[in-house]
Amino acid sequence: MRLKDCHNFNDFRTLAKKKLPSPIFHYIDGAADDEVTYKRNTSAFNDVDLVPNVLRGVEKVDLSTTIFGQKLDLPFYCSPTALQRLFHYQGERAVGKAAQKFNTMFGVSSLATVSAEEISSLVSTPKLFQFYYHKDKGLNDAILERAKAAKFDVMALTVDTITGGNRERDLRTGFTSPPKLTLESLISFAIKPMWGINYVTRGKFELPHLQDHVKEGTSTATSVGNYFSTMLDQSMNWKDAENLCAKWGGHFALKGIMSVEDAKRAVDIGCTGIMVSNHGGRQLDGARSPFDQLAEIVDAVGDKIDVICEGGIQRGTHILKALSIGAKACAGGRLYLYALAAAGQIGVEKALGQLRTELERDMKLMGCTKISELSRKNLRFRNA
Amino acid sequence: MSLNDCYNFEDFRKLAKKKLPAPIFHYIDGGADDETTLKRNTESFLKCDLVPNILASVGEPDLSTSVFGQKIDMPIFLSPTAMQRLYHYDGDKASARAAEKFGTFYSMSTMATSSIEEIANISGGPKLFQLYIHKDQGLTDNLIERCKNSGFKAMCLTVDTVVAGNRERDHRWGFTTPPKLTLKSILSFAMHPKWAYNYFTHEKFELANVSHWTKKGSSIAKGVMEYINEQYDPAMSWKDAEYVVKKWGGPFALKGVMSVEDAKRAVDIGASAIMLSNHGGRQLDGSRSPFDQLPAIADAVGGKIEIILDGGIRRGTHVLKALSLGATACSFGKAFLFALGAGGQKGVEQILKRMRDEIKRDMILLGCKSIKELNKTKIAYR
Ligand SMILES: Cc1cc2nc3c(=O)[nH]c(=O)nc-3n(C[C@H](O)[C@H](O)[C@H](O)COP(=O)(O)O)c2cc1C
Ligand SMILES: Cc1cc2nc3c(=O)[nH]c(=O)nc-3n(C[C@H](O)[C@H](O)[C@H](O)COP(=O)(O)O)c2cc1C
Repeated sequence: MRLKDCHNFNDFRTLAKKKLPSPIFHYIDGAADDEVTYKRNTSAFNDVDLVPNVLRGVEKVDLSTTIFGQKLDLPFYCSPTALQRLFHYQGERAVGKAAQKFNTMFGVSSLATVSAEEISSLVSTPKLFQFYYHKDKGLNDAILERAKAAKFDVMALTVDTITGGNRERDLRTGFTSPPKLTLESLISFAIKPMWGINYVTRGKFELPHLQDHVKEGTSTATSVGNYFSTMLDQSMNWKDAENLCAKWGGHFALKGIMSVEDAKRAVDIGCTGIMVSNHGGRQLDGARSPFDQLAEIVDAVGDKIDVICEGGIQRGTHILKALSIGAKACAGGRLYLYALAAAGQIGVEKALGQLRTELERDMKLMGCTKISELSRKNLRFRNA
Repeated sequence: MSLNDCYNFEDFRKLAKKKLPAPIFHYIDGGADDETTLKRNTESFLKCDLVPNILASVGEPDLSTSVFGQKIDMPIFLSPTAMQRLYHYDGDKASARAAEKFGTFYSMSTMATSSIEEIANISGGPKLFQLYIHKDQGLTDNLIERCKNSGFKAMCLTVDTVVAGNRERDHRWGFTTPPKLTLKSILSFAMHPKWAYNYFTHEKFELANVSHWTKKGSSIAKGVMEYINEQYDPAMSWKDAEYVVKKWGGPFALKGVMSVEDAKRAVDIGASAIMLSNHGGRQLDGSRSPFDQLPAIADAVGGKIEIILDGGIRRGTHVLKALSLGATACSFGKAFLFALGAGGQKGVEQILKRMRDEIKRDMILLGCKSIKELNKTKIAYR
């Protein structure tokens, strides 16, 4: 199987599985506990049907949308994800440049493996910096300053990782970052020599945002769950978020909001957006899916801040459904991560391109030429 | 396995799979994206149950009904489908003859592999022509004129295909028309020598209705998706539909209407029927199933316009459920195409017979003497 045989999400996933050492594949592919939430994130989209309108004259479709004051050519963007150089040696550089080609936003994780400064020099289109709130306040301030200096457009504080999720696949495969070799993982690394060669020869692996402050940012192998549980500040509260928002002074979002109450509170502390998200099912298993929860949130705060539906998106029609409910945009991790692992920048470009093609086609089949024409009138819930 | 062993949809499908080269089988069998709508089209019939009345002295039930101003002997007919010669060398001729025998409509696709005139010559049964609006308006006028001259009874305009659906099985199998040979597909063609022999020894493959107009209709290998995206007019609007209604002047359906709003508008522009359809799940995946949407449509326009339920029908009971909820008649595509692939005209006759027998048996079990007696009281939701 090759890149040209990848027509959809599952194809990219299959190819990534072939290319990656299994601990790394399962780090991307896995989720918390029984992965119930993870599955629901996608299957939730199937409980509502699209009802198209015909004969509307749909030659030209405009997919652009505006979030956080930035006009994007696409109503979806790349969520921030950690450790991208483990997935492909180009890492964040590949994702950033691909996003730039499509003029959509790209999120950089606090746990990125390429620095904010370098990303900023490579990518001039809208960029989001994802913030983890550490116990070490000096580290927090330093990260904030760097993101500001590097001219990031949006700051997103992740609020759903107050402790590490129970990712049992990682326990089984012994996934750590950088990879630590157990017997089982050694075998897996050995049978994927290309990955190994690239990993070892393409520059040292590091977490540039953390390395000056903590040993976890360097070459000491640690698990991500362990990092969350020991490094992040579990006492983080609304006041801290409010202070951070004020200190940042620009577009600010909370990532991982699920309840209506919290969404309203996000408005009160000055956020300009929220990501309705359960971290791709990787944290609290049994949590509601973003799409299931979306309508309530949009009804409560949709006219005050940008609501972004994040997680479970594999198809253009999924995006279409979320936008019809009232999300301003969608975001996803795995929708580009498998493609990154499969083929680096050209892989991500192919994945984004296919999603764009799908969305454009689906808009035409719905009889819509602009995102603003989508509404709940286009939808029927199965049980309603 | 032979035709006589085919009792139901799955059997015909299996036999067709055996007989057809894989790219062709998957062209019929596949749907868009994840095929969720394709599956739902049939599954949706399971969300309600039939409630029989007993001791109704049914005798021999009358299955006839009237649609497009035409009495037909059974309440289901053949949906228009493209390129039937790929499925069996007799193609449209086989389907048209079989439909005539069973006193029901045969439908011809714009993308048929026989011409309007050819079929008019071999079949006196009721015929419907399915129109695609090409960017070239002259072609539309030409097709309408020819249908009039050839005694076609009804016309439908397909409105759910402004852009080609994402049929990933066709990507994988390299499906083009006429078939283009890739390594994978050569293997499959080689394993079905009989199909290949028949395909190459019978008349030349072409899109008989449009080949004189666009060279794409003749022998250039083109994916269907490419053809649609190049040739069909994505700017198609209500004005164009109205134009066709007037120009045609006879019984007319919009095929692929799903929303209540559009159904009402179809009434306004003077269509006599709508085909409630998502193109058999081949276009917009995630789109609602016709059967799920039927009650809302029947409420809004029932009595004002004929409602034809198209998509997902595999069984006589599916037809009965649709008629009970307000459909005037039903139509089906894949079911008869697999039968065509499995056994040509005999195959189509076989599936029409099975369908007629099922509907008849089920009417008796339900306690209904005629189609008119079917209504909401026969249905209970889970
Ligand atoms: C491998 C991986 C790493 C991630 N790393 C981060 C991270 O560092 N920070 C963060 O806020 N979210 C992270 N996420 C969550 C994503 O931002 C996003 O919420 C999630 O992937 C959405 O679900 P989806 O993968 O189904 O699209 C990560 C997700 C994955 C799959
Ligand atoms: C192989 C195939 C070709 C088709 N070609 C056409 C066509 O040319 N024009 C059209 O309006 N519909 C076409 N359709 C859609 C059918 O008319 C019908 O809507 C659909 O098959 C109904 O769903 P069913 O297959 O579940 O019965 C085609 C369907 C199939 C399976």
